[in-house]
Amino acid sequence: MITGTVFDIKEMTVHDGPGSRVTVFLKGCPLRCLWCHNPEGLSPEPQLMIKENLCEKCGLCLRGCTHNECRPFGRCLHACPKGLVTVAGIEYTPKQLAERLMKYRDFLNKVGGGITFSGGEPLLQAEFMLETLKYIKGIHIALQTSGYCESDVFKEALKRVDYVLYDIKLADTDEHIKYTGVDNRLILENYKILAESGKPFVVRTPLIPGITDTQENLSAISQIVGDNRVEIMRYNHFAPSKYKMVGLEFNLPDLPSNEVDLSVFKNAIML
Amino acid sequence: MKELLHYIVSKQHHKFRKTVDWNLGEEYSAKGLTPVERMTDRFERLTAAETPVILPNEKICFIRTISNIPDCFTEKEWEEIKSKHYIHELGYMSNLSPDYENIIKIGLLEARKTADEYSRRSIDAIIGLADRYKEEAEKQGRDDIVATLNRVPRYGATNLREALQFFRIIHYALWLEGNYHNTVGRFDKYMYPYFKKDMDAGVYTLDTALELIEDFFLSFNKDSDTYIGVQQGDNGQSMMLGGMDEDGNEVFNELSKLCLKASNNLLLIDPKINLRVNKNTPIEVYELGTELTKAGLGFPQYSNDDIVIAGLEKLGYEHNDAVNYTCAACWEFIVPKVGADVANIAALSYPKVIDEVIHEDFEAAETFEDFLAAVKRRIQIKCDEITENVKDLWFVPSPFMKVIMSVDDIGVGGKYNNFGVHGTGIATGADSLAAIKKYVYDQKKFTRAQLVKAVDEDFANDSDMLAVLRYEAPKMGQNDDEADKLGCALLSYFADALEGKKNCRGGIWRAGTGSAMYYLWHAAEIGASPDGRRKGEPFGTNFSCSIYAKIPGPISVISSFSKPDFSRAINGGPLTLEFHGGMFNNDDSISKVARLVKSYFDMGGHQLQLNAVNAAAMRDAQLHPENHLQLVVRIWGWSAYFVELDKEYQDHVLARQEYTV
Repeated sequence: MITGTVFDIKEMTVHDGPGSRVTVFLKGCPLRCLWCHNPEGLSPEPQLMIKENLCEKCGLCLRGCTHNECRPFGRCLHACPKGLVTVAGIEYTPKQLAERLMKYRDFLNKVGGGITFSGGEPLLQAEFMLETLKYIKGIHIALQTSGYCESDVFKEALKRVDYVLYDIKLADTDEHIKYTGVDNRLILENYKILAESGKPFVVRTPLIPGITDTQENLSAISQIVGDNRVEIMRYNHFAPSKYKMVGLEFNLPDLPSNEVDLSVFKNAIML
Repeated sequence: MKELLHYIVSKQHHKFRKTVDWNLGEEYSAKGLTPVERMTDRFERLTAAETPVILPNEKICFIRTISNIPDCFTEKEWEEIKSKHYIHELGYMSNLSPDYENIIKIGLLEARKTADEYSRRSIDAIIGLADRYKEEAEKQGRDDIVATLNRVPRYGATNLREALQFFRIIHYALWLEGNYHNTVGRFDKYMYPYFKKDMDAGVYTLDTALELIEDFFLSFNKDSDTYIGVQQGDNGQSMMLGGMDEDGNEVFNELSKLCLKASNNLLLIDPKINLRVNKNTPIEVYELGTELTKAGLGFPQYSNDDIVIAGLEKLGYEHNDAVNYTCAACWEFIVPKVGADVANIAALSYPKVIDEVIHEDFEAAETFEDFLAAVKRRIQIKCDEITENVKDLWFVPSPFMKVIMSVDDIGVGGKYNNFGVHGTGIATGADSLAAIKKYVYDQKKFTRAQLVKAVDEDFANDSDMLAVLRYEAPKMGQNDDEADKLGCALLSYFADALEGKKNCRGGIWRAGTGSAMYYLWHAAEIGASPDGRRKGEPFGTNFSCSIYAKIPGPISVISSFSKPDFSRAINGGPLTLEFHGGMFNNDDSISKVARLVKSYFDMGGHQLQLNAVNAAAMRDAQLHPENHLQLVVRIWGWSAYFVELDKEYQDHVLARQEYTV
């Protein structure tokens, strides 16, 4: 039986698609964007997260325990008196996840919202996601994706969702490789598939100081998207604290923001 | 308007302040004056000693220049009074919603005709002060103020300006008489006729009317530092907007909109706005409310007509009174004009009850049902103690308040004389029960003795148990049916325990969902609790989740907290939701939050208060208060300037649930 790994389920997200939503964050991502806000979503494996800033090094989590679930992490997950030791990444069967999400159906339909699959890169777990969707009926489904996946996988996913939030971060291929670790040609190909599919969608571009917020990049993206709707995302400076919690380093150079001229876009809003 | 706002905010008017050092208690005691003679004399002296001050450009005048009010009784006399009577809080009248509508319509001279000697003297005293204000206005060449004071407060108001000035004079007089938590009531209902008349006659545009309302709103902030409360800001100036009228029609009108706008423009903590909604309230009203929430003032606080009116009727309120309900100082539902309910007379602590059960009845409780039966029994015992404790309730008589309430003698009571009891720590209680059920009775993971020992030791020697109870056990707010069912059970045991009891004024007892300041006080009474709350940690405020519970988000919270049958516990006390300010950053998200609010009421919720909070600003304000003088936060039923609060209140606000998106 296939299972999936989820690192968070957030209620009442207001920027993840039409209406108020519940966003499911699937763990694992093929990209390594320097500015990533969810570093706990990068690795596909469940991962220890320790809020070190409040940790008093009492050592209780290092005292041996016999819990099976703690074994992979070398620390007891149930011992911290302050609840600072947690695991990002809970394994679900498609049915379990669908059951949990179906509890929101009445509420979401009432307020005019839905469920959004995000990540990480949700399509890295496309099979799990599509299997889960088989058990979810009567809720609007959105997909938030980097578009970095095989085109037939993307086409399959498109058939099963109602709305897509599609990231285009950098138009230039070399720049894309430099700052996200992967080539963007597949992303741009899949974008064409999306644009021609008739599926409602929005393009999202984050404003990363000195990297994506150059006028050159924004103009190039505006050429790609044409009349289609774009949401420009302001940069959130609070990301670095999460890096430490999962034992990663935040390597985004601290560059000043560029003044951006959004008039190159035909249909853009700032989030 | 900006200059006047700046003038008030920078407290320039404090230069007119003085204090009096009268030893009235001794003097009155030596003369052998009765309480009502004392109150009348004190009011006469204070009004005579006040200096009329008209601030530059203000339209609505009256300001306090004497900042203290000497007590009418000596300490020894208070001891004697307290030996004979139950004295509520300070002993003076509070939390009433006077009949502004009637007095503004008829004027003080008309009311004087049927008033007793003391009330007549009080009326004459305040008219005397108004006349001196008029002389001052004449001196300053303020013909507009002269014209207004030529009419009010002697005679009924004929236009909006007069009605607002009249309100101000009454409200001022109520404070000066020594009453406190003087509420505003259904402002957009009783002021609307004056507003409509002037708007129809073209006296104002919406902009100039807004300016007048802002001027009027400022008056609530001029003297508020002299008002009595547990903390600065706890002053009970609650204004109710919207809701249905006696015939079921919507009250929310253009004036209501201007009030929301005025509050949003001024960004001051008074008046505190409440918004009544019901199943017919259009989403636009919620959106206007959410715009004000976004401003970060901690209001509007919403209440649900469909639940509250039905609940009050079930308790015996007549339809025409129940339908006009308003809020007392914080969120207690009271009836204007005729109600003399004491809606905050005592509080029950659910966690304390459970603490007693684990120490006294645990061994004998073979099953969880036995345990619950013991909880129910002890809630009954507590409620018996609370109700028996209040005998011969007495208030210092207020001759001016007597004129403004539409009952024979508010000193003795009103049409409704019910007493309200808060219920503190519902989530700590329900979570404790859920943990006991799951780990002691169902899974047998811990024995009864182990649990009690760990609680008594504040989990110092059992961190594993602490972590399980605190972070893994079911909690209210997770939309977990088991925990929520136990919360509902606690509330219904509470309602059962008070049902049928009569109080010393012939009224009944009302169960509620508020906590007031008891979320700190009651938490300090006990040590740790079986939900993994450690000694010294507070409960959640009012009807809210435990502050460290891991909560999936606001949808789960409103689902959990809409499950109880509130018609049985309708004394008041809101669910609180806190959102990061960034949640509101565009029109689209305003409408999304508005729909979330509406959905709480569609699910049967009774009262909701939500905050846009900025934890980073609060932390910085603790370090650099001088940079955050205007930072507003919501405490238990009122908004306050963060830097004016004691640290324990600041810390609690910081620790509360925040749903960042």
